[in-house]
This record gives sequence, structure tokens and C-alpha cells, in this order.
Amino acid sequence: MSEARIVEKRKLGEDYIYFVLREPVIASLASPGQFVMVKAGEGWDPLLRRPLGILWAEDEHFALLFKVVGRGTGILRNLDCGNWLDVIGPLGNSFSWNDNGPFLLIAGGRGLVPIYFLAHALFKRSLPFVFCVGFKVKEELDLLQLLEGKNWNVAVACEEKDEKVFCGTVLDVARMQLRQNSFSKIYVCGPHDLLHSMAVDAEFAGLPIEASFEALMGCGYGLCLSCVLRKKSGEGYFHICKEGPVIALEEVSW
Amino acid sequence: MVDLSVRVGDLRLKNPVVLASGTCGYGRELAKFINLKMVGAITVKGLSMEPWQGNPPPRIHEVYAGILNSIGLENKGLESFLREDLPFFETIETPLFVNIWGKNVKEYVLLARNLDAVERVTAIELNLSCPNVEKGGVSFALQEKVFEELVGRVRHSFTRKIIVKLGPQIFDLEKAIQILEREGIDFVSATNSFPGLAVNVDEQRFVFSRKVAGFSGPAIKPLALKLVYDIVSVTRLPVIGMGGIVCWRDALEFLLIGARAIGLGTVNLIYPDAAQRILKGIEEYLDQKGISSLEAIIGKVR
Ligand SMILES: Cc1cc2nc3c(=O)[nH]c(=O)nc-3n(C[C@H](O)[C@H](O)[C@H](O)COP(=O)(O)OP(=O)(O)OC[C@H]3O[C@@H](n4cnc5c(N)ncnc54)[C@H](O)[C@@H]3O)c2cc1C
Ligand SMILES: Cc1cc2nc3c(=O)[nH]c(=O)nc-3n(C[C@H](O)[C@H](O)[C@H](O)COP(=O)(O)O)c2cc1C
Ligand code: FES
Repeated sequence: MSEARIVEKRKLGEDYIYFVLREPVIASLASPGQFVMVKAGEGWDPLLRRPLGILWAEDEHFALLFKVVGRGTGILRNLDCGNWLDVIGPLGNSFSWNDNGPFLLIAGGRGLVPIYFLAHALFKRSLPFVFCVGFKVKEELDLLQLLEGKNWNVAVACEEKDEKVFCGTVLDVARMQLRQNSFSKIYVCGPHDLLHSMAVDAEFAGLPIEASFEALMGCGYGLCLSCVLRKKSGEGYFHICKEGPVIALEEVSW
Repeated sequence: MVDLSVRVGDLRLKNPVVLASGTCGYGRELAKFINLKMVGAITVKGLSMEPWQGNPPPRIHEVYAGILNSIGLENKGLESFLREDLPFFETIETPLFVNIWGKNVKEYVLLARNLDAVERVTAIELNLSCPNVEKGGVSFALQEKVFEELVGRVRHSFTRKIIVKLGPQIFDLEKAIQILEREGIDFVSATNSFPGLAVNVDEQRFVFSRKVAGFSGPAIKPLALKLVYDIVSVTRLPVIGMGGIVCWRDALEFLLIGARAIGLGTVNLIYPDAAQRILKGIEEYLDQKGISSLEAIIGKVR
């Protein structure tokens, strides 16, 4: 458990907040795919911590990017530089890769967070990848500011028409990439529907896909058994905070 | 130095903090955050004979200052617990309580017998809120005859301490306590979570597939206190009080009305080091009041 100090805050679009936090221990331990549990406000209402993915981590700092959707994120939105955030982490497992690229990275909406961290790690190791990112509404395109100045191969889609980017879903641009190049592995994070579509889509069949999943979480570290996802083989569930959030897509039952 | 140790019957705990079942995993998960030697006792997640996969998601839902959970008693089963987790407990001395549940009386008895052979287990705690499949799915706590048969038969199968965990739903509190005393049960713990309900207004359906879920957290504290107060009023059996404790003040409320130890549940999910924080608070309180031992204030408010 640590106190992380907010050293930078940015508002991206109407709904997204970006924080850079100073907390050397989390920063030094974090790897792509991992998350932190954040206390929203002091006191006991709201009660539970909120899980948020790690956007990047470097030296003594790490970053969060979250969409304001309810009570907890609504409170977090009002914090400013100089404020402290009560966080536990890094938690969960992380993406795995070998030295063979190229990799196809797919991010839907706020699923951008762990995929962005992965892109950082791959880029640092000079491993080739294509980063497909898709948004539902034009306003979310403000998140592209995070990609400015990066020398990454990025393909953008937006479901709402905008003159600057491809109109469609992130899966549309990902499929185009699949037809043009051969990839050794796919990484994805996004809404449940997106992961489901990929699991049943013949074009993605046969390729290894690592997906980062979300679930309602009570604790984030394996105490409460609330964060479950049904396994395909055998009986029972994955516990997303411990055995995930990164799980091979083919091992999940839909 | 303030003496935080408490007598719970003839068991002495180095302090009154007991980690409640279902909110501290099988121990090791929490050991990353706190030194488990620090707590009075630890109660592991409710075990059944066979592994049990529990309910489909969603399993948790936050309400004002509380949570509803529908974990559905998921657990790894007795054998895996003994193989995978017991060795960890051999490395620490903290008293170990094992919470158990079965689908019928026979299963409870079998669990009790198996655990009787495991010296390291200080006590078993019977969770009675699960459905009795042989009696139409009504919980063991709602049927006097089954309740009596259950505690009696478990008593004959386990030679060390037995804790019976009560919740708000019980056929008759006074009668139930009389049965526990008569059968030679050692301690009572209370309360289990309260039955609660939540409705998803956007989708116009119940939040949980089983509709009813267990309500816990700070919102239930006054209800839990009242139940513990009532139990202490009718028995000399030591009571481990719990329900909604999140800070040292809450813990003291339970101790002042006569609970001899206190259980921490939901708070472990938010602050994994809650036990340490609460102990520190109790110690400072006693110190400031110039009271040298916690025992001196137990039951002071009646
Ligand atoms: C491992 C993990 C990593 C995550 N990373 C990020 C991230 O980097 N950025 C980000 O914006 N969000 C992320 N989320 C989702 C984020 O945790 C939720 O949006 C947040 O908890 C909502 O809190 P709230 O109090 O604002 O919403 P509430 O008032 O609690 O609920 C508002 C709405 O959000 C939904 N919701 C609540 N919790 C979750 C959850 N855990 N997963 C999905 N939906 C939820 C509710 O069902 C409800 O519809 C992540 C979730 C997980 C499990
Ligand atoms: C996620 C969760 C799982 C629980 N699992 C069990 C269990 O397996 N057996 C049991 O007897 N009680 C179980 N409980 C009940 C707690 O042990 C405790 O009695 C209850 O939550 C009230 O205390 P609290 O308000 O401090 O959480 C569980 C509670 C929670 C929140
Ligand atoms: S969130 Fe508690 S076990 Fe995963």
C-alpha cells in the first residue's frame, strides 16, 4: 500500500483523466498488463477501491488514464497536482512475449491503457508491432494526444464519422492489418463485446491472442473471489485479479 | 505497555482481532501485506469436502457504505487446502480457525472428522447460512431439529474448539443458544452477512442471478451490534463479534458490549493491513485512558 503523489494531470476529451504519479516502488515493479487498486476519496462511501490499469511506468513515476463513469471515478476526477492517491499495486499478471514479431496490438476505448504500456515495452526492445486503436465517439479521439511523438505504427478507427480517421470499428482496421501482414501474436484489451467478437471470428482463429479482461473487483488481490470469468476447459472460473487480468482468449468460455 | 490479550473461553488470544472467513483468502494472499503473526486468529475461507465453483458473475455489488456478495461459497475443497495451504500455517503460530459448510449434516460431520486429525487447526467454525439440500434448500439455521442434530453430531466428531457462526436469520435465538450450550459448543461468532437485495434499474432485472446476496460492510454495523448485544444477553458462551467493523472505534463498540474478540471482514478487502491499524488504534485508546489491559473494558457497556 502506498501514497502516490499526483505530479501531472490532464483532461482528455470530456470524460478521460490522465494522471502522472510519483511512487518509485510501483514504478519500478510494474509491467504491461498490471493494474493498481485506487481508493476514491477518504472514508467508507464509496467503499471499495477501484481497479485501474497502468498506462506506463518509468523511473520513479507511473501513469493512469481513466474514463469517468460513476461515483469513484467522479471523485478521482476532482483531484489535482499535489494531491495524494492511496494505491495498492502493481497487481495481477502481465502480457508475455518472445523475440519474434511482428505483433498486432488491438485496443478498444479505455482498453488503450494496458496495450499502450505493452507498446512501450515492445518499442523499447525494438520489437515490431502495429497498434490498432478504436473509439466509439469522435470526442475520444482526444486520447490520440498520448500517441503524439511516438514513433509507432498506429492505425486508428472511430465509429462516429470524422474526416481525419477511418470510420468503423477497431476490428475493421485490425482485420485489414491481418490481411496485409502476418503476425506472430495478438494482444487485445477492450469492451467484453470486442473480445467476444474476436473469439468467434474465423479470421482470428488459430493465432495466439492474449486478452486483458475486466471484472467487478472486491479486493484486487485474491481474497474475496468476486472477479470471475468462466474457463473453457474443465470446470470453474479464472480469478481475474490473480490469474489475470491477462488471459489467453482461447481459454475463456463465452 | 498495554496488554491486548483476551481470554476467549479457555483460549488465550494475543489480541482480539480475528480475520473473518471469506475476506482473508487462505491466508497467504494477505501475508503479502501484513505479518499474520500480528493477529489474534485467522479464519480461512469456508471449506467444503469437494471443491465448489460458486456462483456465476456478477458476484459483488457496491451499495452505500456496504457490499452485497454472491460468491456462492466457492472454495478449493478440504484436500487442496490441506495440501497447498496448511504448510504455510505450520510456519506461523497464529491460531487457525477453519470455516466449514456442507450440503447436508453428513458433510459437516465428515469435514469435522477430517479436520480433527489436523492438530494445527485450533477451531472449526460452522457456517450455517448455506442451503441444506436434504431439507428443501432452507438454511440450517432456520430449522430447529436440523440445527440441533448438526451441532450435536459435529460436537461428537471434533475434539477441540467449535465455533458456531450465527446470522440474523435464526429460528429462535434463545432456543438456539440453549442448544449450543447444552451440546458443548465453545464459542459463538456473529454476525454473518445479512440477506440483501439489489435491482439493476437500467436493465430492469435483479443484479444477482440468485437475487438475494450477503450484505456486509460499515452499513450493517448497528444491526450487527444489536445482534451481538442480544446474544451476549442470553449466554455465557464467549462471543466473537463482527459486522461492519472498519476502524478501532467500531471494534471497541463490540468489545464494550461484551464481545470477547472481534472479526474483520469487508475491511480487509479495502485495507489489507486493517488488522494492524485497528490494533494500533485500540492500544492508543487504552493508553490515553490509562487502562493497562483490554480485558478491563470488555462488557463495560451493558
Ligand atoms: C483490471 C482492471 C483494469 C481497469 N483499468 C481501467 C483503466 O485503466 N481505465 C479505466 O477508465 N477503467 C479501467 N477499469 C474499469 C474501472 O475499474 C471502472 O470503470 C471503475 O471501477 C468504475 O468506478 P466508478 O465508481 O466510477 O463506477 P461505479 O459508480 O461503481 O459504476 C459505474 C459503471 O461502471 C461499471 N463498472 C464498475 N466497476 C467496473 C469494473 N471493474 N469493470 C467494468 N465496469 C465497471 C458499473 O457496472 C457501472 O455500469 C479497469 C477495470 C479492471 C477490472
Ligand atoms: C466476500 C465475502 C465472502 C464471505 N465468505 C464467507 C464464508 O465463506 N463463510 C462465512 O462463514 N462467512 C463468509 N463471509 C461473511 C464474513 O465472514 C462476515 O461474517 C461478514 O462479512 C460480516 O462482517 P463485515 O461486515 O466485517 O464484512 C463472507 C463475506 C464476504 C464479504
Ligand atoms: S477481486 Fe477479490 S479475489 Fe479478485
